[in-house]
Amino acid sequence: MADEFPFEISPMFEGERVRKDDMYVELAGPKSKGFELVNAVGIDEIEDGKFTLIGADISEMEEGGRYPLAMIYRIAGELVETDLEAIVERRNHDFQNYIQGMMHLNQRYDVWIRINKDAIAKGLKSFEQIAKATMMLFKNELTFIEKIEATYITDMEKVDEELAKAMDKYAARDERTRNLHDEDVDTFYGCSLCQSFAPTSVCVITPDRIALCGAINWFDGRAAAKVDPEGPQFAVEKGECLDETGGEYTGINEVAQKLSGGEYNRIKIHSFFEFPHTSCGCFEVVGFFVPEVDGIGWVDRDYAGNAPNGLAFSSMAGQTGGGKQVMGFLGVGINYFRSPKFIQADGGWDRVVWMPKHLKDKILEDIPSDIVDKVATEEDAQDITALKTFLTDKGHPIVERWSSEEEEPAEDEPITESDAFSMPQVGIPAFDPAMLKNLTPMTGGCGGVKVTLKNAKVTIDKVILSNQK
Amino acid sequence: MSIKKNRFTIENLENVQINIGRVVSSHEAKESEGPTPAPEIHDLRDWDMKLLERYEPVYSPVCDMCCYCTYGKCDLTGNKEGACGIDMEAHQARETMLKGLTGTAAHSAHGRHLLNNLIERFGEDFPIDVGPSNLKAPLTQTIMGIKPETIGDFIPVLDYIEEQITQLLATAHTGQEGSALDFESKALHAGMLDHMGMEVADIIQVSCLGMPKSQEDTPLVDIGMGSIDSTKPVLLCIGHNIAAVAYIMDYMEEHDLFDKIELAGLCCTAHDMTRYNENAKIVGPMSKQLKYIRSGIPDVIVVDEQCVRADVLREASKLHIPVIATNDKIMYGLSNRSKDEVDDIIQDLISGDQQGALLFDYEKVGELAPRLALKMGPIRKEMGITALPDDEEFKKLTSSCSQCGACVIGCPNGLDIDKAMEAAAGGDLTLFEELHDKCNGCGRCDFECPKGIPILNVIEKGALKFIREEKGKVRIGRGQIGDPEIREEGRNLVLGTTPGIIAIVGCPNYPDGSHDIYEIAEEMLQRSYIVVTSGCSAMDLGMHKDDEGKTLYERYSGRFIKGNLLNIGSCVSNAHISATTIKVAAIFAGRDINGNFEEIADYVLNRIGAVGLAWGAYSQKALTIGTGCNRLGIPVVLGPHGPKYRRAYLGKPYNKDKWNMMDARDGSVQNVEPAPEHMLISAETKAEVMPMLAKLCFRPSDNNLGRMIKLTHYIEMSEKYLGVLPDDWYIYVRSEADLPLAKKEQLLKKLEEEHGWKIDWDKKKILEGPTRKVDVSFQPTNVPRLVKGATE
Repeated sequence: MADEFPFEISPMFEGERVRKDDMYVELAGPKSKGFELVNAVGIDEIEDGKFTLIGADISEMEEGGRYPLAMIYRIAGELVETDLEAIVERRNHDFQNYIQGMMHLNQRYDVWIRINKDAIAKGLKSFEQIAKATMMLFKNELTFIEKIEATYITDMEKVDEELAKAMDKYAARDERTRNLHDEDVDTFYGCSLCQSFAPTSVCVITPDRIALCGAINWFDGRAAAKVDPEGPQFAVEKGECLDETGGEYTGINEVAQKLSGGEYNRIKIHSFFEFPHTSCGCFEVVGFFVPEVDGIGWVDRDYAGNAPNGLAFSSMAGQTGGGKQVMGFLGVGINYFRSPKFIQADGGWDRVVWMPKHLKDKILEDIPSDIVDKVATEEDAQDITALKTFLTDKGHPIVERWSSEEEEPAEDEPITESDAFSMPQVGIPAFDPAMLKNLTPMTGGCGGVKVTLKNAKVTIDKVILSNQK
Repeated sequence: MSIKKNRFTIENLENVQINIGRVVSSHEAKESEGPTPAPEIHDLRDWDMKLLERYEPVYSPVCDMCCYCTYGKCDLTGNKEGACGIDMEAHQARETMLKGLTGTAAHSAHGRHLLNNLIERFGEDFPIDVGPSNLKAPLTQTIMGIKPETIGDFIPVLDYIEEQITQLLATAHTGQEGSALDFESKALHAGMLDHMGMEVADIIQVSCLGMPKSQEDTPLVDIGMGSIDSTKPVLLCIGHNIAAVAYIMDYMEEHDLFDKIELAGLCCTAHDMTRYNENAKIVGPMSKQLKYIRSGIPDVIVVDEQCVRADVLREASKLHIPVIATNDKIMYGLSNRSKDEVDDIIQDLISGDQQGALLFDYEKVGELAPRLALKMGPIRKEMGITALPDDEEFKKLTSSCSQCGACVIGCPNGLDIDKAMEAAAGGDLTLFEELHDKCNGCGRCDFECPKGIPILNVIEKGALKFIREEKGKVRIGRGQIGDPEIREEGRNLVLGTTPGIIAIVGCPNYPDGSHDIYEIAEEMLQRSYIVVTSGCSAMDLGMHKDDEGKTLYERYSGRFIKGNLLNIGSCVSNAHISATTIKVAAIFAGRDINGNFEEIADYVLNRIGAVGLAWGAYSQKALTIGTGCNRLGIPVVLGPHGPKYRRAYLGKPYNKDKWNMMDARDGSVQNVEPAPEHMLISAETKAEVMPMLAKLCFRPSDNNLGRMIKLTHYIEMSEKYLGVLPDDWYIYVRSEADLPLAKKEQLLKKLEEEHGWKIDWDKKKILEGPTRKVDVSFQPTNVPRLVKGATE
C-alpha cells in the first residue's frame, strides 16, 4: 500500500533532479561503484517480499557522503524466464524515479543515485523502504512476477565481488540478443498501441525488426504479452514462412488482415517495395525510393534540409504515415538499420544510397564495411546529379544494377536514348505504377487534351481587341 | 475602351507567359475538396447538434432582459417570451453568439488588414513558409478544402469568412431564429471561422516578416515594467497588429536606434514585435496598460487594434504623451494626418497643439514614432511627468480612506483595497505589493471612491519598489508545431508518457492574480504534460520565478515534447494550437483533412487529450477561440469569470445514453465512460482546476498506458489540491491495467468494497464491474457515415 511509505510515489517525480546542495547521500555513480541486476529464479528459491541488506543502511550513512550500491532482484513465477530479466531490470530506473526525493540515472553498471535531504527529513531511513516500494511497483506492473526479493549491497568489497558476476550476466544477455534472429523463434509480437491514434496501424516486432517507433523490441513485446495476452502487445504465431528473404509469414498476414480491418492482407517485414510494413506516424526515419539511381535514401526527423530528391523529411513523412502500406516510402526505427535482415528483399545495404551525416554517424559501426564509404550524405550529394556522380565514383554496388539492367531491357519497352545518363528501368516486382505518381514527372499527352484553368493568373502585358467581323 | 463581361476570342498570342502554380487532374481536384468545403452555416449543423446533445448548453443570464428593439425591453424571466417571441434560452444563446462573432470579426479583420498590407508589400505570390510542415495551413485545409501555397491564396479564405460573418450577424436581428440550439450551432460556426481567421493572420506574418517558423529554441526576451530602461526615451506600442509597428522597427534598425530608444510593446503586439526583432521588450499583458501609462514612463504611444483601452488618448494626454493611432478600429477622434509631412506632425505633437495623430501611411509612422520619441523623451523627463502621487501625497491619500469598501465592491475581483489603504496609512506597503500583483489594472475603483482617491495610482505608488523589480523572461513565440516534432512526440502520446496537452491561453482577468497560472503550469510540466501558451498568459507565465530566480521558460525547453513549455506567440497564433490536433489526425491516422471538418473533429474529440485553460478570459475573442476549440472537439476550462459569457457546455455523466458511441469497424454501439466530460466549464478555484484539467484529458480511445497515467494524475491532483479521492475515478477504469501503479492494490480493494466490482485477487484482475472492456482497436465515432461500409 502506498501509504506505508514515508515518501510519495508518482510519475510526477520522474523528472526530479537532486542537486549537490540538496543531496543527503550519493550512491554508485561515476565516482563510486554499483549496478542493478534482475535474475530469474525458481519459484521455490525465494521468499516473496524479502529484503536483505549487506553493508550500511541509509541511517548509518553520513550526510553528503558517497557510497557504493548494488541492487539485485530475484524474480519468480510460472511465466518468468531469463529472456525477461532485462525488461524487468530496465523498469528499476522508472520506478525508483517515481519515489519522491530519489534520483536514479542510467542503467546496469552505470547507475547513479541520489537521495535528497527532504526525503530523509520526511522519514526515509532505510533501503528497505525503497526496495519494498520498488518491488511493489514491479509486481503491480509486471504481473507475471509472482514472487520477488531484493538484496541491496553497500559494502564495497561485496559490491566488487557481485559486480564481476553481473558483468558476465550482462555479456551473456547481450550475446543472446545479438544472436537471436527471426528464424530462431516461433513467435513474433504484434503491437497495436498506436491504434489509439492510428487506427489501421499494425506493428510486427521480431528479433530482427524493432517496432518502428524504436521503443519496443521483441523482448519487450514478449514481456508485455505475458502480462496481458489480450493486451495491446500480443503473440503472433509465425506460421508458415512464405518468403524467407522478404520476411513473409502466414501468421503475420492473418494478423494484418484482422487488425487493419481488411485494409491489407500481406506484409513482408524486410521488404521495402513489396507489401512493406505499415508506417504509423512516429517512425524515426523514413526511407524513400530514388528512381533515378534505383536506390533507397533515408532521412530522419532531425534532418531539417532537403534530401537529394528535393524533399524534406516532413513532406515525405506526410506521404508515408497514417498506418498505411505505402510503396516507395517506408518508416522505420533507427535500430532497424542494425538488423542483419535490413531490407534484405531489396538488396539490403547494397541498395542504400543516401542518408544525412548525423544519422550515418549514429549507426556507422553497424554499416557493412564494404559499403560504408559508398553511402552518400548531404556533404557528398545534395541533388540527384551529384548523387549519381558520387555513387559512380565510389563504385557503389547499385551502379552495377544500372549496367546489368541496361543490358536486359524489358521486352515490350523500346529502348530510349538519353543524352546524359542511360537510365535503368525501375526493376520492381509487383509494383503499382500509381504509387510512383509523386516521384515520376508528369508527362503531357498530345491531342484531345482538355485543359481547365482554375484560379489561374495570366499576366498579359497588352491586350489588343479587334471587332469580330 | 473598357472590356465588358462577355466571351471574346484571342486571335494572337505573342510572348505571353502563363504561370501555372499547380496542375491537378480533375479527379484529384474533386477529391481535394472534401465533404464540406467552405461550409455554410447549416453544413456542419449535424455535428454541432451531436456535440450539443451530449454537452448541453447551460445558461447563466447576466441580464435577463432583452432590449434589442423598441418593443422592449422585454422581461424573459419565468418562461416569459419577449415581444418578438424569443425566450430566455434563445436570447442568451443569441447574446453569446453575438459576443463570439465580435471576437471572430476582430481576428479576421486583423487578418484582412494585415493581408492587404502584406500583399501590397510582398505581392500575392509570396510563398507561405511556416517551417517543417507538410500541412502548412491545417485549419484552412480542413475547413476550405484548399491547400494555400502563397499569401494571395488566402484572399478567398477571408472572403469566405467575411461572408459567413455577415450571414451570422444577420441572424441576430429581431425575430427569426427561435432555437437556442441553432444559435449555439451558429456560435460554433463563428468559433470555427475565428480559428481560420487567426491562422491566416499568423501564417502570413510568419511567412512575410521572417518570424520564427516552428522554431523550438527561440531566444528569451525581457518582460516586465521593471525591464524597461526609463532613462532612455520610451516608445510604447499597444495592441495586436504588427503591420504599422514593423515599419517602426525597420526604421530603428536602419538608423541604429535600438540602443537609443527603448522600444516596448504591450499586449499581443509585443509578442509579435519580439518575433520580428528580438531587441523589442515586453511590458506585459493588457492588465499593465493603464498602470504603465500612468507611470508616465512612455514618451510616445502607438496604438493599433483590439485589446487597447478606450481611454488611452485621454490618459496619455494628461501626461503629455502623444498618441499615434494607425488603424480604422481605433481613431479616438484624432485628425487624419496621413497626407501631412512628418516634420509638421512632429512639431504639432511636441508643442502640444495636438494630443495625437491618426496616420495610415505606415512609412510615415515608421519614421515619425522613433523621431518623436527622441524629442519627447528629454522634454518629458525634464518635466518629470507622472500621474503617481509623491510620498507626502500618498500618505495623505491613504489616510483619507474611510474604509467604506466601495472600491472592493467595484473591483472585478473584489480585492481588499481598503485593507491595503489602512496598512499603508500605517506605513506598511506589503499589502499594496500583493495587491498590485493581483490587480488587473482596469481602473474601475477610481470611479467608485466617494472621496475621489485615484486608487489605481495609489496602488501603483504603493507597489513602486516592487514594480521596479518586476522583470521576467519570455521565450519568443515559435509559431506552428512542426511535423517532425509531432511525429517524435507521437511515441510519448501512445506510450502514455505524456498524459496530455494543456493550452494555457487567454487574457489576464485572473480571479487572484497571475501566480495561479504559473502554479498550474508548473504542476502540469512536472507531471510531463505538454504546456502550450500564447498571448497574455504566455507573458504572465514569464513573470514568476522559482527559488533560484528562474522562470518556467528558463527551466523547461520549447520543443513539442512531454514536459515542455511552448510559447506559440500572439493571440492569432492560438490557431496553431488547434491546428496541431488536425495534424495529429493527418499524421497518425492518415485522415484526409481536405474540407473534412466533421471527421477531423470527431477524431480529435475521441482521441486527442488536449484541453484549453483560459483562466483570466475576459474578451469576446477569448470566447470565440474557446467556442472554436469546442467545435473541433477540444474542451475548454474558464476561470470564475467564465459564467459571465452566459453559457457553458456541460456533459451529464449520469445520462448514460448520451455516451453511446459507434465502433467505426462494424457500427456496433458501445456505452463509453464520459470522456471528455465537459466541453466548456468554469472552475472556481485553482484547487478545482488542477484535477479538472487532468480529467478532461481522458479520451475514449486511450490505451491502457495512456489511461493509467491520466488516471494517476487525476487522482493525485484531486488528493493533493482537494484532499479527496475524486468520487468518479472508478468510472474511468476499464481494466486493472488502467489503475495507477502505486495504488493498484488499494484501489482494487475500493472497487470491490465500495463499488461491488468482482476482483480475482490471485491475479489481481478485475472480473466484473467496468462499463466496457478496454480494446485498443476500438474506433470510437459519433458520425454514422464514418462507419466502415456505411453509405453516405
